[in-house]
Amino acid sequence: MIQINQISKTYDNTTVLSIDALSLAAGEHFGLVGNNGAGKTTLFSLLLDLIQPTTGNITNNEIDVAKSEAWKSHTGAFVDERFLIDYLTPEEYFAFVAQLRHVSNEELSATLAEFASFFNGEVLDQNKYIRDLSKGNQKKVGLAAAFIGAPSLVILDEPFANLDPSSQIRLKRFLASEVNADKTLLISSHDLNHVTEVCERIVLLEKGRVLKDMPKTPQTLKELHEYFSEQ
Amino acid sequence: MNLFRLQWKATFRSPQWEAKLSIKIIMGFLIVYFGGAFVLGASVIYPILFKTVLDREPLEVFNSVLLYVLFFELGVRFLLQQLPVTNIQTLILLPLSKGRVIRHILFKSVFSSINLTPLIIYLPFAISMYRDDYLFDEVFAWWSVLLLLTLCLNFLTFLVNKSNWFFWTALVVMVLVVLGDYYDLFYAAKKAGVLFDLLVQHPSFWWTGMVPLILTYGIVFRYLKRQFYLDKGLSVKKEQVRQNSFSFVDKLGQDAFLIKNDLRMIARNARPRQVMVMVALFLFYGLIFFTQEIYRDMTFALVFAALFVTGGFTMTFGNYVPAWDSSYYPLLMTQNISYKDYLLSKWNLMAFMTFLAAILSTPYLYFGADILLLIWACSIFTIGVGTWVTLAGGLLNKTPMKLNAKAKAFDNTQAFSMTQFLLVIPKLVLPVMLYGIPAAIFNEAAGIFTLTSAGILGIVLRQKIAAWITRWYIQQKYATIAAFNQSV
Repeated sequence: MIQINQISKTYDNTTVLSIDALSLAAGEHFGLVGNNGAGKTTLFSLLLDLIQPTTGNITNNEIDVAKSEAWKSHTGAFVDERFLIDYLTPEEYFAFVAQLRHVSNEELSATLAEFASFFNGEVLDQNKYIRDLSKGNQKKVGLAAAFIGAPSLVILDEPFANLDPSSQIRLKRFLASEVNADKTLLISSHDLNHVTEVCERIVLLEKGRVLKDMPKTPQTLKELHEYFSEQ
Repeated sequence: MNLFRLQWKATFRSPQWEAKLSIKIIMGFLIVYFGGAFVLGASVIYPILFKTVLDREPLEVFNSVLLYVLFFELGVRFLLQQLPVTNIQTLILLPLSKGRVIRHILFKSVFSSINLTPLIIYLPFAISMYRDDYLFDEVFAWWSVLLLLTLCLNFLTFLVNKSNWFFWTALVVMVLVVLGDYYDLFYAAKKAGVLFDLLVQHPSFWWTGMVPLILTYGIVFRYLKRQFYLDKGLSVKKEQVRQNSFSFVDKLGQDAFLIKNDLRMIARNARPRQVMVMVALFLFYGLIFFTQEIYRDMTFALVFAALFVTGGFTMTFGNYVPAWDSSYYPLLMTQNISYKDYLLSKWNLMAFMTFLAAILSTPYLYFGADILLLIWACSIFTIGVGTWVTLAGGLLNKTPMKLNAKAKAFDNTQAFSMTQFLLVIPKLVLPVMLYGIPAAIFNEAAGIFTLTSAGILGIVLRQKIAAWITRWYIQQKYATIAAFNQSV
């Protein structure tokens, strides 16, 4: 699904990311962990063609993301609040994304229905603009929008941050349920418990390099804890 | 003093500091220019009144309309003056007394450039008075009271902006005064004028101007103190949601939802709303030129005026494409939309608004069919050519835009670039030449013809031009994203 070749990003002689090769199979649930500055957001920005790689390239479904825009139709993403249009109501925002992705009203309603318990009655029909919602509810809006139009690849940066405990658990359940949906999922998180529960494969980044690339086993969480406590 | 230092750092460490500096220099020139124009204008008021009104003193005449001048000033302040309130959320928890923070805010507001009006407008008039036969202390009393009243208005602006109750009261009072004058019921403005006349007769009473100033300062101080909580005056007002607004746009076609989004953006954010006020004012711009006989033979002035009548939206709104979308630019860059469609939707919006302005400009028929024809030819030129120049130029502007904040008067640091300023030249010079040259060689009809043809060419070739500009936008994509990522 995703092929990363010799990618690196350098700002003023400081290399913030350097990955020789990394590939993601279709349907894989892929978790990215690492301390601040490890390069998680840089990698996501490169995947979404928001920054230009210094060397190398990334292909998404065999499309070079920096050369063509065709990957956009099957990729959903939520990185930060700059993916939200804050003067719209959540309903208007969902409709806007649905129209961009050529999704009918019925399909949109069906997608949103899956998020009903996640929204917990605090997102839809609130008669509020997104800018007037709490940080947690803004996040819920962005996360749900990333799934509109049944994208085969979904990229989420820190999806659990800012959510209340119940919402974190609901989100975890939802993401785990997507395992069978043949959806490739790429998430980053500071929360080791969450990421090991949701993902089958975990990559540990340190200072821009892949330090560990491991399939999830019962020992994974322990191993990660050991790494981070030694830091 | 600490607060002052904080402000100092905020200014110098801002990422746009260098940009701000160059803008300050340009703005400095503009202020000098307009300031000079106002000073000149104000200094001729007195002699003109002296010559035209024979039965009354010029001062008496001016005093009798002073109330309206003050009303107008309050209105301008309401629209343009940015109040330094929202920057202080971080200070709330620090061990500073509320009173000190509020005093700092109020003190800071005094340094707004709008507060130069007593110097720019009243001082030249006062000097004319002195050169006539008024005594120094009379002139001083008159001028100092106006200075004090200006400061009053400065503080009142806080109330007008923050308190709905005060806003509506002030509006009702103003309307009543105007209606009272118009229908000969009571003459509030004239009575206020008499007060100023009395003041000049008894100059030792100049200190009475302090009374309203101290009163308003006290009221505003107490009001702000009561509002000094995050959920009250400090926060941006939460607006009532307007449900389903602009859903009629859906009927316009498949890709109309992008236009719908832009219309919502305009309706729901302070900055674009402010721009729309400008657009509406531009509609009347022609009145300045078409009413004067001397401009009738000045091709440049006529085309210039005609362009602004319908081109206001393109020149003001269009200049800030894509900065309007800066706060969610990464969303647009990762969503399923091509740059070309994005640009075409902006073009459609500008074309539609220009067309609307062209229809609204029909009353200019009063000045003659040739004038209306020229306005319409200019609107076609704007749709076909002006819009594209604007879209290409907007890319040069990489300052992120804070949508829901008003621009400051004379301190327009939000999204403004020198290069863009220079792009105004082809937008204005080109049409003048396209019209002027054929009009001089053949006749006016030939000028209208070339102007219209250029516009129609741009409309017909819109897909090609859009594709061409798209290449530019793609080249600049990463730089634009990175720049919009900077905090404002």
